[in-house]
Amino acid sequence: MPKSNLGFIRFIIRTSAFIGKEMTEVVRQTPLLLTLILGPFLIMLLFGVGYRNEARPLKTLVVMEEGDPFQKQLEEQVSRGAGLIYEGSTTDRNAAMEKLKNRIVDVVVVIPPNALQTIQNSEQVVVQFFHNEIDPLQENFIEIFGDINIDEVNRQIVTTYAEQGQENASTMEQKLAETRTQVQTTRQLLQAGDALAAQGEQQKLSGDIDALSFLVGGSLGLMNGPDGQTAENNPTGESATGDSENQGITEALARLQQSNQEMGSIQEGKANYDEELAKLDQMDRDLTDLETALQGFQSIEPNVLVAPFRSEAIGLQGNELEPVDFFTPAVIVLLLQHLAVTFSALAIVREQRSGSIELFRISPLSSFETLLGKYLSYLIFATVLGAVITATVVLVLNVPMLGSWMNYAIVLLTLLFTALGFGFLISLLAKTEMQAVQYAMLLLLGSVFFSGFFLDLRNLWEPVRVVSYLLPATYAIQLLQDIMLRGISIDPLMFIGLLSMGILMFIVAWNLLYRRLQQEWD
Amino acid sequence: MNQAIPEIEEINRPFNSVTDKPIIVKDLSKQFGDQLVVDRVSFEVSPGTVFGFIGPSGSGKTTTLRMLTGIYHPTSGEVKVFGHAPVNFPRRERERIGYMPQNFVLYPELSVWENLNFAAMIYGVGFGRSKRMKELLEFVELLDHRNKRVRNISGGMQRRLSLATTLTHRPDLLFLDEPTTGLDPILRKKLWDYFHNLKDNGTTIFVTTQTVSDAALCDLVGLMVEGRLVAVDTPEGLRRRALGGEVIVLSSNDRIEYQHVQQLTQLPFVKRADRSGENKVHITVEDAATAIPELMEWSTNIGMNVESIRQFLPDFDDVFVMLIHKESENAEI
Repeated sequence: MPKSNLGFIRFIIRTSAFIGKEMTEVVRQTPLLLTLILGPFLIMLLFGVGYRNEARPLKTLVVMEEGDPFQKQLEEQVSRGAGLIYEGSTTDRNAAMEKLKNRIVDVVVVIPPNALQTIQNSEQVVVQFFHNEIDPLQENFIEIFGDINIDEVNRQIVTTYAEQGQENASTMEQKLAETRTQVQTTRQLLQAGDALAAQGEQQKLSGDIDALSFLVGGSLGLMNGPDGQTAENNPTGESATGDSENQGITEALARLQQSNQEMGSIQEGKANYDEELAKLDQMDRDLTDLETALQGFQSIEPNVLVAPFRSEAIGLQGNELEPVDFFTPAVIVLLLQHLAVTFSALAIVREQRSGSIELFRISPLSSFETLLGKYLSYLIFATVLGAVITATVVLVLNVPMLGSWMNYAIVLLTLLFTALGFGFLISLLAKTEMQAVQYAMLLLLGSVFFSGFFLDLRNLWEPVRVVSYLLPATYAIQLLQDIMLRGISIDPLMFIGLLSMGILMFIVAWNLLYRRLQQEWD
Repeated sequence: MNQAIPEIEEINRPFNSVTDKPIIVKDLSKQFGDQLVVDRVSFEVSPGTVFGFIGPSGSGKTTTLRMLTGIYHPTSGEVKVFGHAPVNFPRRERERIGYMPQNFVLYPELSVWENLNFAAMIYGVGFGRSKRMKELLEFVELLDHRNKRVRNISGGMQRRLSLATTLTHRPDLLFLDEPTTGLDPILRKKLWDYFHNLKDNGTTIFVTTQTVSDAALCDLVGLMVEGRLVAVDTPEGLRRRALGGEVIVLSSNDRIEYQHVQQLTQLPFVKRADRSGENKVHITVEDAATAIPELMEWSTNIGMNVESIRQFLPDFDDVFVMLIHKESENAEI
């Protein structure tokens, strides 16, 4: 056999020596396996099964004074609010606060007295939501909880106003019919040349238009209600609710009043009354417009009038993701990264502690063969684990897989390759196994906080974000989320980042191992 | 004990280094901090010899061996193994070396067979290695235990396994750091037989030991005392050094008088004579074989009724104790 072939065969034999040895060693260390594999796996499973995507209902106690009907109305509305368990009401504020302090209730809602009077004085009523939380996220949650409930109260009040406005609109319809009859009568008298009688009817018509204006104005005011105050702060000067209908009504009414004014008083003895008749025709049309606008106003649901817009968020991936779905790719990444790092972090430091690396040094093994053999053995082992974990999350937890399995496998292998590099680096820097485990835990901790596992990277201060991009998990989480949950292909930039880091780690670890095998030992 | 010793391949690899001697050490010193552990040691080992490195614990034996294998770098002096400084061993030379460290450094979670297989593979031993592995396990009496995990076998078995792993690739040069520690006398004897077999086939063996009786089985013995190599000689040569020559014990049926002792010291071939009891005298000579007939003649001439006359062969333990004491005394002077 040619020497070069023999050399290559020996290279293969020496390198593959580690595959069986490392894997057998790991498999036979049952406690290690249980700790490193089953432990995190069970944690993940428990998280998946146990996590509930529902806001915690807050035990809510209302503090109010007795005998105020408006306050009672507010209390009723608060008691029907979302996300709470209503614990009743009390007039004893101190007792309520004591309950809050002792965490018997989560929130104490204090409704101030004389709320109606405050509103009539054009002031907002401040309803206080007291809580006893120290977690900023829970504090935010209670703020949002208060806003949502008070918005609901406001909406209910405005809806009531709108309903009243619509009820008044039927009265307006009657008045409108009377006014139209008055226009017709005036018109007929003028056509008959009875100016005197027409004059009398015109005066009645003016009275009807004034009455109509009053009714329409009042209804619009009711319909706008307290919400109309917002129009003052609105640069367009428009109310936020039922604007188009209101505008149509207002314009038709204005034109009617204008036509009436322009027609002036009907004079006797004129040669013809064409001008007055034309104005009466115009008024008839204005009344028709007004009638149409009022009908439109009546046909709109009060809750649409007060809240004509609502939002709806639609994800591009087309299906609604559960929190477990969202977190799963990141959990897979962190689990596999941690496993790969821990295994490899112990790999060389253990050989060094036991003294077996002394044999490697004297043997014909090169640092490249040693490292490559160990890489391959752990890569095979971690890949098998990765496949088991993936099958579990997809088949048991039903996490969606929208992208390509090939892409998934490529990212997973690259992650493992890079994570092993970090582990070997740790192994070569650590002096004891304890130290290696500590470094591995530090890497895990860093990955939990800076990889985007539960905090959006965009929330990190930019210079600190550099740390994120020094961690393989950051790249892999984004890549796996894209593949699994968005169904898109591998982001080339992120993939190159991950792979480059892996190659760099391999080179650095190789160099360190070479030096370690060359240098004198203690 | 199975007497079958594995067949050793004829070693037919030309030794093309600068010198024929596989190990050359000149003025080798090693210092750790302020402590001088090896002090200007020089020796050479010829091919096909068993070189024993003996000395008390902490005398610098293992440190010297580690410098020979490249694990330690010398503080000063020179080491050549196969013509190369061990710290820069090329792969070709590494393939010719076998090393058995003092402590067991294999893998407790692997079986006997798996450990041996791993050791063979890191030396690039090919896929037909099973036969060789079986032979070695049979030789070290571990074939029946091959499926046992190493953590479940005794210390002595671990030493045997460690030795077997050293031999899988049929090395030309063996470095053995206290290989017989923890072995029973029968296995120790078998092991030495095997070493001699290897030696006969051209393998050079460098072995450190604290077991003095092992030294008697070496071709050459280097005695280390407090970092210094105080003697390099054959076992017999060392005995001679310890005693200042060869010693003959002459026992008489009669009382040996002081004047007889005086007469003995006057004989030209006698170096020294010391009475030991009333009828026994120790006579130090250059060569016991030639001196005994002349002493017989002398005793007849003076009418001494000789009960026995024989060469005194002290235990090697005593020889080394004597040599170490001598060295210590010289150092004090």
